[in-house]
Amino acid sequence: MATLQLKNIKKIYEGGVEAVHSFNLDIADKEFIVLVGPSGCGKSTTLRMIAGLEEISEGELYIGDKLVNEVEPKDRDIAMVFQSYALYPYMTVYENMSFALKLRHLPKDEIDQRVRWAAEVLDITKYLDRKPKALSGGQRQRVAIGRAIVREPKVFLMDEPLSNLDAKLRNQMRAEIIKLRKKVNTTFIYVTHDQTEAMTLGDRIVIMKDGWIMQIGTPQEVFDHPANIFVAGFIGMPQMNFFDGELAKNGEKYQLTVNGCPVEIGESLQQALKEKDVPSKKVIVGCRPEHIELSSADNALKATVDVSEMMGSEIHLHLNCEGKDIVIRVPSTKLSAEHRGGFEFGTDLKFAFPADLIHLFDPETENNLI
Amino acid sequence: MKQTNKPSMSRVLRRRETFSAYLFLLPSLIFFIGFVIIPMVLCLYTSFFDSKLNANTPDVFVGFANYVELWRDPVFKKALVNTLVIVVVSVPTVAAFSLWVASAIYKMKDWMLSAFRCIFYLPVVTGSVAVTVVWKWMYNNYYGIFNYVLKGVGAIDNNINWLGNPSTALWCIIIILFTTSVGQPIVLYVSALGNVDASLVEAANVDGANNLQSFWKVKWPSIMPTTLYIIVITTINSFQCFALIQLLTSGGPNNATQTVMYYIYYTAFKLYRFGYGNAMGIILAIFIAVLSAFQFWLAKEK
Ligand SMILES: Nc1ncnc2c1ncn2[C@@H]1O[C@H](COP(=O)(O)OP(=O)(O)O)[C@@H](O)[C@H]1O
Ligand SMILES: [Mg+2]
Repeated sequence: MATLQLKNIKKIYEGGVEAVHSFNLDIADKEFIVLVGPSGCGKSTTLRMIAGLEEISEGELYIGDKLVNEVEPKDRDIAMVFQSYALYPYMTVYENMSFALKLRHLPKDEIDQRVRWAAEVLDITKYLDRKPKALSGGQRQRVAIGRAIVREPKVFLMDEPLSNLDAKLRNQMRAEIIKLRKKVNTTFIYVTHDQTEAMTLGDRIVIMKDGWIMQIGTPQEVFDHPANIFVAGFIGMPQMNFFDGELAKNGEKYQLTVNGCPVEIGESLQQALKEKDVPSKKVIVGCRPEHIELSSADNALKATVDVSEMMGSEIHLHLNCEGKDIVIRVPSTKLSAEHRGGFEFGTDLKFAFPADLIHLFDPETENNLI
Repeated sequence: MKQTNKPSMSRVLRRRETFSAYLFLLPSLIFFIGFVIIPMVLCLYTSFFDSKLNANTPDVFVGFANYVELWRDPVFKKALVNTLVIVVVSVPTVAAFSLWVASAIYKMKDWMLSAFRCIFYLPVVTGSVAVTVVWKWMYNNYYGIFNYVLKGVGAIDNNINWLGNPSTALWCIIIILFTTSVGQPIVLYVSALGNVDASLVEAANVDGANNLQSFWKVKWPSIMPTTLYIIVITTINSFQCFALIQLLTSGGPNNATQTVMYYIYYTAFKLYRFGYGNAMGIILAIFIAVLSAFQFWLAKEK
């Protein structure tokens, strides 16, 4: 249980690769932080610097109030779950889980009590006498987590713990981690490339790209107000659609046109643009697939159907809109009976943006205009 | 039908594959049978004869007489004790020393690692005659470098006849054997240590293990198979120590460096008593087999 402070942390690998640039983050006690981003963006590097497995090239790392840059991993009081699980192959599950406690010279009965508690929590009591190679992927995963939670560490680090599991097991373990978190009340830092995991697990998520932090915020914040085009595209499935648009300031009001069609701007967005005093300019308009609506209005945008995917309760329509591919999600309840099963290839459709659910980005900086 | 992961082959295909496998094995199989199996059987067979391997003097069946004679032969006993001393001293020191060197160098930069590997491997690839001649010079009673240096620093007053003195001769042999034996174990240990799963060591560090603890708990079990292999090959090599003896001391002085291997050679090719020599060979083979089996068993127990 501790706060963490990362101040201007940098990692330059031997050979000059700068994997992490100036990472700044304050983590509250018992917070669940998720680092998310595409492969190679520096998530593992950051986590390993926190663990002490990788030297911090520049900057300061505090755990609690203590500067730990030069402290060895064994003295940082952290526990880590590795992507490969890294279970000791020559030890039984029980020995794997009790290893750290034995090194700390805890009394035997307390070790036993803690290991059995963790095994109970993770439902692996049956396997305590087995060696790791006699376990399935999901069971190994649990042992790896068990080995970490018996420790009651200050900080709990997890590097893509679910990425080696199949989809069904992954969903199940995700739910278990949420439950686990209530039982092990400590600070979590969790690394993943999967935005669903990030959104469902994190109190706050840190979105990274090429070693830079793109945005830090609660799942709600990054979803509702992505700081830039990268975040907008990264969070949300299917991806947000982007259109080239024209923003014009007309007296007190802003007007937006996409493909020559006028697009209404909601009141709060109008207000925000006005406060920022945004001039007339070209913009990139973003709108999520689930927010775009089919429309029959005269000034709606035109598109033709490329692919129509029936997902059960909704249909994913891949449309071609003036040469651009876009995706929209339509709940089947909103469709007439003849279209519940989907649309024919080449069907002409019209769609519109809801006024309050569009995002405007600067084409040059790619940042959100507001 | 049972489902397996591998697509099951038709029986015809499988038979054809087995046949071609044996065909490929044939050359080495012939070689193995002709030069290993048959001589071994012959060795066992002739050990029951008074054999001169000479057409003019036919072999005489003597039963276990050769073995009984061995039992009473003080030179053979001396040779056996010397051989066991060589094995017992050199195997642990070679294994421990090579592990120590390998641990120190395996994380170094590539060129440094190569340099060290080269240095320690050099005595292995250099011809044993060349190496031995150099050592013979270094041990020399009158102008050897050891006497020169030790006298120079005042450690000794009179020259020591290293190879001529029964109390030092065997140790001189052991030292040379050591330098020519550590090369391969070091190379093997370097690669074994490099192959230890790095995340296991990291996990141990995070779990709170210091370097020594993570070595014993993580690296040591991971390199156990390599250790076993090193111990077995070093044992066998030490048992078969021969060339050094022949080149340096011929078993002297007063049988102080007599080894079983050298004594076999001496009996068979100097005294032409092949039956007696082969009986020794059988005893040596039994010793090696039993000791290796014991080492495997020990490793498994752990
Ligand atoms: N040991 C290393 N030496 C040099 N570059 C490395 C090393 N480890 C990682 N990198 C580089 O650092 C960047 C970030 O890697 P990493 O933190 O593993 O990414 P992620 O975990 O987000 O996929 C990558 O470009 C990777 O190639
Ligand atoms: Mg990674």
